[in-house]
Amino acid sequence: MIHFKNINKTYSPNIVGVRNVNLHIRPGEFVSIVGQSGTGKSTLAKLMFAEERPTSGQIAVGGWDITRIREHDVPLLRRQIGVVFQDFKLLVRRTVYENVAFALEVAGTPARRIREVVPQVLKIVNLQEKGDRYPKQLSGGEQQRVVVARSLVHRPKILVADEPTGNLDTIHTREIIDLLRKINEFGTTVVLVTHNREVVNALKKRVITLEGGEITSDVEEGRYKL
Amino acid sequence: MITALRAVKFAFQNFGRNFWLSLITVSMLVLTLLTVNVLMVLQQVASKAIAFAEERIEVSVYFYPATAEERITGAAGYLRGLPQVRDVEVITSDEALRRFSDRHAADEAILQSLDEVGGNPFGPTLVVKAYGADDFPFILDALDNPQFRNDIREKDFSSFEDIIDRIRSTTDRIQLFGMVLSAIFLLIATLIVFNTVRIAIFIHREEIGIMKLVGATNAFVRAPFLIECLIYSLFSVAFTAVIVYSSVAVMDPKFSAFFGGESVGLLEYFIRNWYWIFGMQFVILTIINMLATMVAMRKYLRV
Repeated sequence: MIHFKNINKTYSPNIVGVRNVNLHIRPGEFVSIVGQSGTGKSTLAKLMFAEERPTSGQIAVGGWDITRIREHDVPLLRRQIGVVFQDFKLLVRRTVYENVAFALEVAGTPARRIREVVPQVLKIVNLQEKGDRYPKQLSGGEQQRVVVARSLVHRPKILVADEPTGNLDTIHTREIIDLLRKINEFGTTVVLVTHNREVVNALKKRVITLEGGEITSDVEEGRYKL
Repeated sequence: MITALRAVKFAFQNFGRNFWLSLITVSMLVLTLLTVNVLMVLQQVASKAIAFAEERIEVSVYFYPATAEERITGAAGYLRGLPQVRDVEVITSDEALRRFSDRHAADEAILQSLDEVGGNPFGPTLVVKAYGADDFPFILDALDNPQFRNDIREKDFSSFEDIIDRIRSTTDRIQLFGMVLSAIFLLIATLIVFNTVRIAIFIHREEIGIMKLVGATNAFVRAPFLIECLIYSLFSVAFTAVIVYSSVAVMDPKFSAFFGGESVGLLEYFIRNWYWIFGMQFVILTIINMLATMVAMRKYLRV
Protein backbone atom coordinates (compact mmCIF):
# COMPACT_ATOMS: atom_id res chain seq x y z
CA MET A 1 0.00 0.00 0.00
CA ILE A 2 2.69 2.50 1.08
CA HIS A 3 6.33 1.99 0.07
CA PHE A 4 9.20 4.18 1.23
CA LYS A 5 12.54 3.29 -0.36
CA ASN A 6 15.70 4.98 0.93
CA ILE A 7 13.81 8.16 1.71
CA ASN A 8 15.72 11.21 2.84
CA LYS A 9 14.23 14.60 3.54
CA THR A 10 16.57 17.48 4.29
CA TYR A 11 15.25 21.00 4.88
CA SER A 12 18.64 22.68 4.79
CA PRO A 13 22.12 21.16 4.91
CA ASN A 14 21.94 20.93 8.70
CA ILE A 15 18.25 20.15 9.26
CA VAL A 16 17.27 16.56 8.63
CA GLY A 17 13.59 15.58 8.47
CA VAL A 18 13.97 11.86 7.89
CA ARG A 19 17.01 9.81 6.99
CA ASN A 20 17.28 6.61 4.97
CA VAL A 21 13.72 5.44 5.67
CA ASN A 22 12.67 2.10 4.21
CA LEU A 23 9.11 1.18 4.96
CA HIS A 24 6.29 -0.96 3.69
CA ILE A 25 2.76 -0.59 5.02
CA ARG A 26 0.36 -3.26 3.79
CA PRO A 27 -3.31 -2.69 2.90
CA GLY A 28 -5.61 -2.77 5.94
CA GLU A 29 -2.81 -2.32 8.44
CA PHE A 30 -3.01 -0.09 11.52
CA VAL A 31 0.44 1.40 12.03
CA SER A 32 1.54 3.74 14.79
CA ILE A 33 4.54 5.93 14.15
CA VAL A 34 6.02 7.03 17.43
CA GLY A 35 8.91 9.12 18.55
CA GLN A 36 9.80 12.22 20.47
CA SER A 37 9.10 15.72 19.16
CA GLY A 38 11.27 16.65 16.20
CA THR A 39 12.19 13.09 15.24
CA GLY A 40 10.52 13.31 11.83
CA LYS A 41 7.13 11.66 12.52
CA SER A 42 5.10 14.46 10.93
CA THR A 43 7.57 14.74 8.05
CA LEU A 44 7.03 11.05 7.36
CA ALA A 45 3.25 11.56 7.41
CA LYS A 46 3.46 14.62 5.14
CA LEU A 47 5.55 12.69 2.64
CA MET A 48 2.67 10.20 2.34
CA PHE A 49 0.16 12.77 1.09
CA ALA A 50 2.70 14.90 -0.85
CA GLU A 51 2.64 17.82 1.52
CA GLU A 52 6.41 17.38 1.48
CA ARG A 53 8.64 16.00 -1.31
CA PRO A 54 11.58 13.75 -0.53
CA THR A 55 15.11 15.01 -1.14
CA SER A 56 16.03 11.53 -2.35
CA GLY A 57 14.52 8.06 -2.49
CA GLN A 58 11.25 6.73 -3.84
CA ILE A 59 7.69 6.78 -2.47
CA ALA A 60 4.78 4.77 -3.85
CA VAL A 61 1.21 4.95 -2.56
CA GLY A 62 -1.23 2.33 -3.82
CA GLY A 63 1.21 1.45 -6.61
CA TRP A 64 1.48 5.12 -7.65
CA ASP A 65 4.98 6.57 -7.60
CA ILE A 66 4.48 9.94 -5.96
CA THR A 67 8.18 10.76 -5.52
CA ARG A 68 8.04 13.50 -8.14
CA ILE A 69 4.27 13.86 -8.29
CA ARG A 70 3.14 16.72 -10.55
CA GLU A 71 1.25 19.62 -8.96
CA HIS A 72 -1.98 18.90 -10.80
CA ASP A 73 -1.94 15.26 -9.65
CA VAL A 74 -1.68 16.13 -5.96
CA PRO A 75 -5.48 16.73 -5.57
CA LEU A 76 -6.13 13.23 -6.96
CA LEU A 77 -3.78 11.75 -4.36
CA ARG A 78 -5.35 13.78 -1.55
CA ARG A 79 -8.78 12.41 -2.45
CA GLN A 80 -7.44 8.91 -1.84
CA ILE A 81 -5.82 9.70 1.48
CA GLY A 82 -7.81 11.00 4.44
CA VAL A 83 -5.85 13.31 6.70
CA VAL A 84 -6.52 14.18 10.35
CA PHE A 85 -4.49 16.78 12.24
CA GLN A 86 -4.01 17.67 15.87
CA ASP A 87 -5.30 21.23 15.33
CA PHE A 88 -8.50 20.00 13.60
CA LYS A 89 -8.36 22.48 10.66
CA LEU A 90 -12.10 23.09 10.64
CA LEU A 91 -13.79 26.09 9.07
CA VAL A 92 -15.22 27.97 12.03
CA ARG A 93 -17.86 29.79 10.01
CA ARG A 94 -19.31 26.59 8.60
CA THR A 95 -21.47 24.07 10.39
CA VAL A 96 -20.46 20.48 11.03
CA TYR A 97 -22.46 19.37 7.98
CA GLU A 98 -20.91 22.10 5.80
CA ASN A 99 -17.39 21.28 6.97
CA VAL A 100 -17.84 17.66 5.97
CA ALA A 101 -19.60 18.57 2.72
CA PHE A 102 -16.80 21.03 1.90
CA ALA A 103 -14.39 18.20 1.05
CA LEU A 104 -16.87 16.88 -1.50
CA GLU A 105 -17.83 20.31 -2.83
CA VAL A 106 -14.27 21.25 -3.74
CA ALA A 107 -13.86 17.93 -5.51
CA GLY A 108 -16.88 18.65 -7.73
CA THR A 109 -19.17 15.98 -6.26
CA PRO A 110 -22.82 16.45 -7.30
CA ALA A 111 -25.10 17.93 -4.63
CA ARG A 112 -27.29 14.82 -4.54
CA ARG A 113 -24.29 12.62 -3.77
CA ILE A 114 -23.20 15.06 -1.04
CA ARG A 115 -26.66 14.83 0.55
CA GLU A 116 -26.26 11.04 0.61
CA VAL A 117 -22.67 10.76 1.81
CA VAL A 118 -22.47 13.43 4.52
CA PRO A 119 -25.20 11.98 6.81
CA GLN A 120 -23.59 8.54 6.38
CA VAL A 121 -20.17 9.65 7.57
CA LEU A 122 -21.68 11.78 10.35
CA LYS A 123 -23.41 8.64 11.52
CA ILE A 124 -20.11 6.71 11.51
CA VAL A 125 -18.58 9.32 13.84
CA ASN A 126 -21.80 9.54 15.84
CA LEU A 127 -22.46 13.21 15.06
CA GLN A 128 -25.64 12.81 13.03
CA GLU A 129 -27.55 14.93 15.55
CA LYS A 130 -25.05 17.77 15.50
CA GLY A 131 -24.83 18.57 11.80
CA ASP A 132 -26.12 22.11 12.28
CA ARG A 133 -23.67 23.02 15.06
CA TYR A 134 -20.64 25.19 14.54
CA PRO A 135 -17.17 23.90 15.56
CA LYS A 136 -17.05 26.26 18.55
CA GLN A 137 -20.22 24.65 19.90
CA LEU A 138 -18.51 21.24 20.03
CA SER A 139 -16.04 19.64 22.44
CA GLY A 140 -12.49 18.91 21.28
CA GLY A 141 -13.32 15.25 20.79
CA GLU A 142 -16.39 16.09 18.74
CA GLN A 143 -14.39 18.52 16.60
CA GLN A 144 -11.84 15.82 15.93
CA ARG A 145 -14.66 13.44 14.98
CA VAL A 146 -15.86 16.02 12.45
CA VAL A 147 -12.35 16.03 10.97
CA VAL A 148 -12.38 12.24 10.81
CA ALA A 149 -15.80 12.39 9.13
CA ARG A 150 -14.46 14.90 6.60
CA SER A 151 -11.46 12.67 5.90
CA LEU A 152 -13.79 9.73 5.20
CA VAL A 153 -16.08 11.36 2.62
CA HIS A 154 -13.89 10.31 -0.29
CA ARG A 155 -13.86 6.73 1.04
CA PRO A 156 -10.06 6.79 1.27
CA LYS A 157 -7.98 3.64 1.27
CA ILE A 158 -5.52 5.29 3.64
CA LEU A 159 -6.13 7.49 6.66
CA VAL A 160 -3.17 9.45 8.02
CA ALA A 161 -3.77 10.83 11.50
CA ASP A 162 -1.05 13.18 12.70
CA GLU A 163 -1.31 13.51 16.50
CA PRO A 164 -5.14 13.37 16.39
CA THR A 165 -5.36 13.13 20.18
CA GLY A 166 -2.75 15.76 20.97
CA ASN A 167 -5.35 18.30 22.12
CA LEU A 168 -7.78 15.86 23.73
CA ASP A 169 -8.38 14.55 27.24
CA THR A 170 -8.30 10.83 28.05
CA ILE A 171 -11.99 10.16 27.38
CA HIS A 172 -12.01 11.93 24.03
CA THR A 173 -8.69 10.32 23.13
CA ARG A 174 -10.24 6.91 23.64
CA GLU A 175 -13.26 7.92 21.51
CA ILE A 176 -11.02 8.95 18.62
CA ILE A 177 -8.79 5.87 18.85
CA ASP A 178 -11.89 3.63 18.93
CA LEU A 179 -13.15 5.45 15.89
CA LEU A 180 -9.85 4.95 14.05
CA ARG A 181 -9.90 1.30 14.99
CA LYS A 182 -13.46 0.99 13.65
CA ILE A 183 -12.41 2.66 10.39
CA ASN A 184 -9.48 0.25 10.17
CA GLU A 185 -11.84 -2.68 10.67
CA PHE A 186 -13.79 -1.48 7.61
CA GLY A 187 -10.56 -2.08 5.62
CA THR A 188 -8.94 1.35 5.59
CA THR A 189 -5.19 1.46 6.21
CA VAL A 190 -4.59 3.71 9.21
CA VAL A 191 -1.31 5.48 9.89
CA LEU A 192 -1.33 7.04 13.34
CA VAL A 193 1.40 9.48 14.26
CA THR A 194 1.52 9.92 18.02
CA HIS A 195 3.66 10.24 21.09
CA ASN A 196 0.89 9.02 23.41
CA ARG A 197 2.28 5.99 25.21
CA GLU A 198 -1.10 4.71 26.54
CA VAL A 199 -2.71 4.85 23.13
CA VAL A 200 0.08 2.91 21.46
CA ASN A 201 0.27 0.31 24.17
CA ALA A 202 -3.50 -0.18 24.20
CA LEU A 203 -3.71 -0.64 20.46
CA LYS A 204 -1.40 -3.67 20.27
CA LYS A 205 -0.73 -2.98 16.59
CA ARG A 206 2.39 -2.43 14.52
CA VAL A 207 4.65 0.30 15.95
CA ILE A 208 7.38 2.09 14.03
CA THR A 209 9.75 4.12 16.18
CA LEU A 210 11.69 7.07 14.87
CA GLU A 211 14.75 8.63 16.41
CA GLY A 212 16.70 11.47 14.84
CA GLY A 213 14.80 10.96 11.59
CA GLU A 214 15.69 7.27 11.35
CA ILE A 215 13.60 4.18 11.98
CA THR A 216 15.07 2.50 15.00
CA SER A 217 12.41 -0.12 15.51
CA ASP A 218 9.52 -1.66 13.58
CA VAL A 219 7.55 -4.23 15.58
CA GLU A 220 4.37 -6.01 14.45
CA GLU A 221 2.61 -5.94 17.80
CA GLY A 222 4.68 -3.31 19.47
CA ARG A 223 4.72 -1.04 22.43
CA TYR A 224 5.90 2.47 23.08
CA LYS A 225 9.55 2.00 23.99
CA LEU A 226 11.08 5.47 24.28
CA MET B 1 -19.96 22.55 -14.55
CA ILE B 2 -20.67 21.71 -10.90
CA THR B 3 -17.16 22.84 -9.96
CA ALA B 4 -17.58 26.09 -11.91
CA LEU B 5 -20.88 26.84 -10.16
CA ARG B 6 -19.27 26.11 -6.79
CA ALA B 7 -16.37 28.44 -7.62
CA VAL B 8 -18.96 31.15 -8.38
CA LYS B 9 -20.72 30.39 -5.07
CA PHE B 10 -17.42 30.62 -3.16
CA ALA B 11 -16.61 33.89 -4.95
CA PHE B 12 -19.93 35.41 -3.85
CA GLN B 13 -19.33 34.10 -0.32
CA ASN B 14 -15.91 35.76 -0.26
CA PHE B 15 -17.46 38.97 -1.56
CA GLY B 16 -20.12 38.91 1.16
CA ARG B 17 -17.81 37.91 4.01
CA ASN B 18 -15.46 40.79 3.26
CA PHE B 19 -18.32 43.14 2.52
CA TRP B 20 -16.65 46.40 3.62
CA LEU B 21 -13.46 45.59 1.76
CA SER B 22 -15.51 44.72 -1.33
CA LEU B 23 -17.51 47.94 -0.94
CA ILE B 24 -14.36 50.07 -0.83
CA THR B 25 -12.98 48.29 -3.88
CA VAL B 26 -16.20 48.71 -5.84
CA SER B 27 -16.47 52.39 -4.76
CA MET B 28 -12.99 53.10 -6.03
CA LEU B 29 -13.72 51.39 -9.33
CA VAL B 30 -17.00 53.32 -9.63
CA LEU B 31 -15.08 56.56 -9.05
CA THR B 32 -12.67 55.64 -11.83
CA LEU B 33 -15.48 54.76 -14.22
CA LEU B 34 -17.40 57.93 -13.36
CA THR B 35 -14.36 60.02 -14.33
CA VAL B 36 -14.26 58.24 -17.67
CA ASN B 37 -18.00 58.81 -18.18
CA VAL B 38 -17.76 62.48 -17.21
CA LEU B 39 -15.14 62.78 -19.94
CA MET B 40 -17.55 61.21 -22.41
CA VAL B 41 -20.32 63.61 -21.37
CA LEU B 42 -17.90 66.49 -21.72
CA GLN B 43 -16.94 65.30 -25.18
CA GLN B 44 -20.60 65.18 -26.20
CA VAL B 45 -21.44 68.61 -24.77
CA ALA B 46 -18.32 70.15 -26.31
CA SER B 47 -19.21 68.70 -29.73
CA LYS B 48 -22.70 70.12 -29.37
CA ALA B 49 -21.34 73.51 -28.26
CA ILE B 50 -18.98 73.61 -31.23
CA ALA B 51 -21.75 72.62 -33.64
CA PHE B 52 -24.04 75.19 -32.03
CA ALA B 53 -21.44 77.93 -32.45
CA GLU B 54 -20.53 76.81 -35.98
CA GLU B 55 -24.16 77.09 -37.02
CA ARG B 56 -24.01 80.71 -36.06
CA ILE B 57 -20.88 81.67 -37.90
CA GLU B 58 -21.59 83.70 -41.00
CA VAL B 59 -19.87 86.08 -43.39
CA SER B 60 -21.76 89.20 -44.37
CA VAL B 61 -20.65 90.42 -47.82
CA TYR B 62 -21.62 94.03 -48.40
CA PHE B 63 -21.85 95.18 -52.00
CA TYR B 64 -21.71 98.76 -53.26
CA PRO B 65 -25.23 100.27 -53.54
CA ALA B 66 -24.91 100.64 -57.28
CA THR B 67 -24.18 96.98 -57.91
CA ALA B 68 -26.55 95.49 -60.44
CA GLU B 69 -29.03 92.93 -59.10
CA GLU B 70 -27.96 90.25 -61.56
CA ARG B 71 -24.37 90.50 -60.28
CA ILE B 72 -25.65 89.94 -56.73
CA THR B 73 -27.72 86.96 -57.90
CA GLY B 74 -24.68 85.66 -59.80
CA ALA B 75 -22.47 85.92 -56.71
CA ALA B 76 -25.13 84.17 -54.59
CA GLY B 77 -25.42 81.40 -57.20
CA TYR B 78 -21.64 81.02 -57.36
CA LEU B 79 -21.39 80.74 -53.59
CA ARG B 80 -24.28 78.26 -53.37
CA GLY B 81 -22.34 76.10 -55.80
CA LEU B 82 -19.44 75.77 -53.39
CA PRO B 83 -19.52 72.53 -51.35
CA GLN B 84 -18.42 74.40 -48.22
CA VAL B 85 -21.46 76.72 -48.30
CA ARG B 86 -24.53 75.68 -46.35
CA ASP B 87 -26.77 78.67 -47.09
CA VAL B 88 -26.70 82.06 -48.78
CA GLU B 89 -29.25 84.71 -47.90
CA VAL B 90 -29.66 87.66 -50.25
CA ILE B 91 -30.62 90.94 -48.56
CA THR B 92 -31.60 93.65 -50.99
CA SER B 93 -30.79 97.33 -50.40
CA ASP B 94 -34.39 98.03 -49.37
CA GLU B 95 -34.46 95.09 -47.00
CA ALA B 96 -31.11 96.17 -45.49
CA LEU B 97 -32.53 99.67 -44.92
CA ARG B 98 -35.71 98.30 -43.36
CA ARG B 99 -33.77 96.01 -41.01
CA PHE B 100 -31.47 98.87 -40.00
CA SER B 101 -34.44 101.15 -39.32
CA ASP B 102 -36.23 98.48 -37.34
CA ARG B 103 -33.13 97.74 -35.29
CA HIS B 104 -32.61 101.39 -34.37
CA ALA B 105 -36.27 102.40 -34.20
CA ALA B 106 -35.78 103.67 -30.67
CA ASP B 107 -32.65 105.64 -31.45
CA GLU B 108 -33.72 109.07 -32.76
CA ALA B 109 -30.13 110.24 -33.40
CA ILE B 110 -29.38 107.37 -35.75
CA LEU B 111 -32.66 107.73 -37.63
CA GLN B 112 -32.03 111.46 -37.96
CA SER B 113 -28.55 110.78 -39.36
CA LEU B 114 -30.09 108.38 -41.85
CA ASP B 115 -32.48 111.15 -42.99
CA GLU B 116 -29.58 113.55 -43.35
CA VAL B 117 -27.68 111.12 -45.58
CA GLY B 118 -30.76 110.96 -47.80
CA GLY B 119 -31.89 108.00 -49.94
CA ASN B 120 -30.76 104.43 -49.19
CA PRO B 121 -27.08 104.27 -48.21
CA PHE B 122 -27.13 100.47 -47.96
CA GLY B 123 -26.04 98.23 -50.71
CA PRO B 124 -27.24 94.64 -51.15
CA THR B 125 -25.76 92.08 -48.79
CA LEU B 126 -25.10 88.36 -48.96
CA VAL B 127 -25.15 86.47 -45.67
CA VAL B 128 -23.12 83.26 -46.16
CA LYS B 129 -23.20 80.31 -43.77
CA ALA B 130 -20.72 77.46 -43.99
CA TYR B 131 -20.80 73.86 -42.77
CA GLY B 132 -17.82 74.37 -40.48
CA ALA B 133 -15.60 77.10 -39.13
CA ASP B 134 -12.70 75.70 -41.15
CA ASP B 135 -14.58 76.42 -44.40
CA PHE B 136 -14.59 80.19 -44.01
CA PRO B 137 -11.03 80.91 -45.15
CA PHE B 138 -11.86 79.12 -48.41
CA ILE B 139 -15.14 81.06 -48.83
CA LEU B 140 -13.41 84.37 -48.15
CA ASP B 141 -10.75 83.49 -50.74
CA ALA B 142 -13.48 82.56 -53.20
CA LEU B 143 -15.01 86.02 -52.81
CA ASP B 144 -11.69 87.51 -53.89
CA ASN B 145 -12.60 86.22 -57.33
CA PRO B 146 -11.98 89.11 -59.84
CA GLN B 147 -15.53 88.59 -61.09
CA PHE B 148 -16.93 90.01 -57.81
CA ARG B 149 -14.00 91.68 -56.10
CA ASN B 150 -14.74 95.17 -57.42
CA ASP B 151 -18.40 95.05 -56.42
CA ILE B 152 -17.67 94.15 -52.79
CA ARG B 153 -17.36 97.00 -50.35
CA GLU B 154 -16.65 95.00 -47.22
CA LYS B 155 -16.61 91.49 -45.82
CA ASP B 156 -17.58 91.05 -42.20
CA PHE B 157 -16.61 87.74 -40.66
CA SER B 158 -18.38 87.25 -37.36
CA SER B 159 -15.86 86.27 -34.66
CA PHE B 160 -17.44 82.96 -33.56
CA GLU B 161 -14.21 81.33 -34.61
CA ASP B 162 -12.59 82.68 -31.44
CA ILE B 163 -15.39 81.17 -29.37
CA ILE B 164 -14.95 77.81 -31.10
CA ASP B 165 -11.21 77.94 -30.54
CA ARG B 166 -11.81 78.73 -26.90
CA ILE B 167 -14.34 75.87 -26.54
CA ARG B 168 -11.87 73.54 -28.24
CA SER B 169 -8.89 74.54 -26.17
CA THR B 170 -10.89 74.46 -22.92
CA THR B 171 -12.35 71.06 -23.79
CA ASP B 172 -8.91 69.75 -24.75
CA ARG B 173 -7.46 70.96 -21.47
CA ILE B 174 -10.33 69.47 -19.44
CA GLN B 175 -10.01 66.22 -21.38
CA LEU B 176 -6.29 66.05 -20.76
CA PHE B 177 -6.86 66.73 -17.07
CA GLY B 178 -9.66 64.12 -17.04
CA MET B 179 -7.46 61.54 -18.74
CA VAL B 180 -4.66 62.12 -16.23
CA LEU B 181 -7.22 61.90 -13.41
CA SER B 182 -8.67 58.69 -14.90
CA ALA B 183 -5.20 57.20 -15.18
CA ILE B 184 -4.46 58.07 -11.54
CA PHE B 185 -7.81 56.63 -10.39
CA LEU B 186 -7.21 53.53 -12.50
CA LEU B 187 -3.79 53.05 -10.96
CA ILE B 188 -5.22 53.48 -7.46
CA ALA B 189 -8.12 51.15 -8.30
CA THR B 190 -5.69 48.52 -9.60
CA LEU B 191 -3.62 48.78 -6.44
CA ILE B 192 -6.78 48.52 -4.35
CA VAL B 193 -7.89 45.40 -6.23
CA PHE B 194 -4.41 43.95 -5.76
CA ASN B 195 -4.56 44.73 -2.04
CA THR B 196 -8.12 43.39 -1.73
CA VAL B 197 -7.05 40.08 -3.26
CA ARG B 198 -3.97 40.01 -1.03
CA ILE B 199 -6.10 40.55 2.07
CA ALA B 200 -8.69 38.02 0.85
CA ILE B 201 -5.92 35.44 0.41
CA PHE B 202 -4.67 36.24 3.91
CA ILE B 203 -8.18 36.00 5.39
CA HIS B 204 -8.88 32.73 3.59
CA ARG B 205 -5.45 31.17 4.07
CA GLU B 206 -6.88 28.58 6.47
CA GLU B 207 -9.73 27.73 4.12
CA ILE B 208 -7.29 27.55 1.20
CA GLY B 209 -5.09 25.17 3.21
CA ILE B 210 -8.08 22.95 3.98
CA MET B 211 -9.22 23.06 0.35
CA LYS B 212 -5.81 21.78 -0.72
CA LEU B 213 -5.80 19.19 2.02
CA VAL B 214 -9.12 17.70 0.98
CA GLY B 215 -8.22 17.54 -2.69
CA ALA B 216 -9.22 20.80 -4.35
CA THR B 217 -7.41 21.46 -7.60
CA ASN B 218 -5.24 24.55 -7.95
CA ALA B 219 -7.67 25.92 -10.52
CA PHE B 220 -10.54 25.51 -8.06
CA VAL B 221 -8.58 27.35 -5.35
CA ARG B 222 -7.73 30.21 -7.71
CA ALA B 223 -11.04 30.47 -9.57
CA PRO B 224 -13.07 32.17 -6.78
CA PHE B 225 -10.53 35.02 -6.62
CA LEU B 226 -10.75 35.59 -10.36
CA ILE B 227 -14.54 35.36 -10.30
CA GLU B 228 -14.60 37.77 -7.36
CA CYS B 229 -12.71 40.32 -9.42
CA LEU B 230 -15.24 39.78 -12.21
CA ILE B 231 -17.99 40.51 -9.66
CA TYR B 232 -16.17 43.74 -8.70
CA SER B 233 -16.13 44.81 -12.35
CA LEU B 234 -19.77 43.85 -12.86
CA PHE B 235 -21.03 45.70 -9.80
CA SER B 236 -18.83 48.72 -10.52
CA VAL B 237 -20.07 49.04 -14.09
CA ALA B 238 -23.70 48.46 -13.00
CA PHE B 239 -23.51 51.14 -10.28
CA THR B 240 -21.76 53.52 -12.67
CA ALA B 241 -24.43 52.93 -15.32
CA VAL B 242 -27.20 53.73 -12.81
CA ILE B 243 -25.44 56.91 -11.65
CA VAL B 244 -24.61 58.00 -15.21
CA TYR B 245 -28.13 57.38 -16.56
CA SER B 246 -29.84 59.19 -13.69
CA SER B 247 -27.41 62.12 -13.85
CA VAL B 248 -27.69 62.40 -17.61
CA ALA B 249 -31.50 62.23 -17.43
CA VAL B 250 -31.43 65.18 -15.02
CA MET B 251 -28.75 67.14 -16.90
CA ASP B 252 -30.04 66.65 -20.46
CA PRO B 253 -32.98 69.15 -20.25
CA LYS B 254 -30.71 71.68 -18.55
CA PHE B 255 -28.19 71.45 -21.38
CA SER B 256 -31.03 71.76 -23.90
CA ALA B 257 -32.15 74.97 -22.23
CA PHE B 258 -28.57 76.25 -22.46
CA PHE B 259 -28.47 75.53 -26.21
CA GLY B 260 -31.70 77.41 -26.93
CA GLY B 261 -34.00 74.39 -26.65
CA GLU B 262 -31.90 72.22 -28.96
CA SER B 263 -31.33 68.78 -27.44
CA VAL B 264 -27.73 67.79 -26.80
CA GLY B 265 -28.88 64.18 -27.14
CA LEU B 266 -26.87 63.00 -24.15
CA LEU B 267 -29.45 60.57 -22.83
CA GLU B 268 -30.15 59.32 -26.33
CA TYR B 269 -26.41 58.88 -26.90
CA PHE B 270 -26.05 56.76 -23.74
CA ILE B 271 -29.20 54.75 -24.49
CA ARG B 272 -28.19 54.10 -28.09
CA ASN B 273 -24.59 53.13 -27.25
CA TRP B 274 -24.99 51.59 -23.76
CA TYR B 275 -23.68 48.18 -24.76
CA TRP B 276 -20.62 49.70 -26.38
CA ILE B 277 -19.93 52.27 -23.65
CA PHE B 278 -20.48 50.08 -20.60
CA GLY B 279 -19.48 46.84 -22.35
CA MET B 280 -16.06 48.30 -23.20
CA GLN B 281 -15.70 49.71 -19.69
CA PHE B 282 -16.54 46.27 -18.26
CA VAL B 283 -14.10 44.46 -20.54
CA ILE B 284 -11.21 46.87 -19.90
CA LEU B 285 -11.88 47.00 -16.14
CA THR B 286 -12.10 43.20 -15.96
CA ILE B 287 -8.83 42.76 -17.84
CA ILE B 288 -7.04 45.21 -15.53
CA ASN B 289 -8.61 43.63 -12.41
CA MET B 290 -7.73 40.14 -13.59
CA LEU B 291 -4.12 41.16 -14.16
CA ALA B 292 -3.96 42.70 -10.67
CA THR B 293 -5.57 39.57 -9.21
CA MET B 294 -3.21 37.24 -11.04
CA VAL B 295 -0.16 39.21 -9.88
CA ALA B 296 -1.49 39.13 -6.29
CA MET B 297 -2.20 35.39 -6.51
CA ARG B 298 1.20 34.68 -8.00
CA LYS B 299 2.83 36.59 -5.18
CA TYR B 300 0.75 35.51 -2.21
CA LEU B 301 -1.25 32.39 -3.08
CA ARG B 302 0.94 29.37 -2.79
CA VAL B 303 -1.12 26.43 -4.05
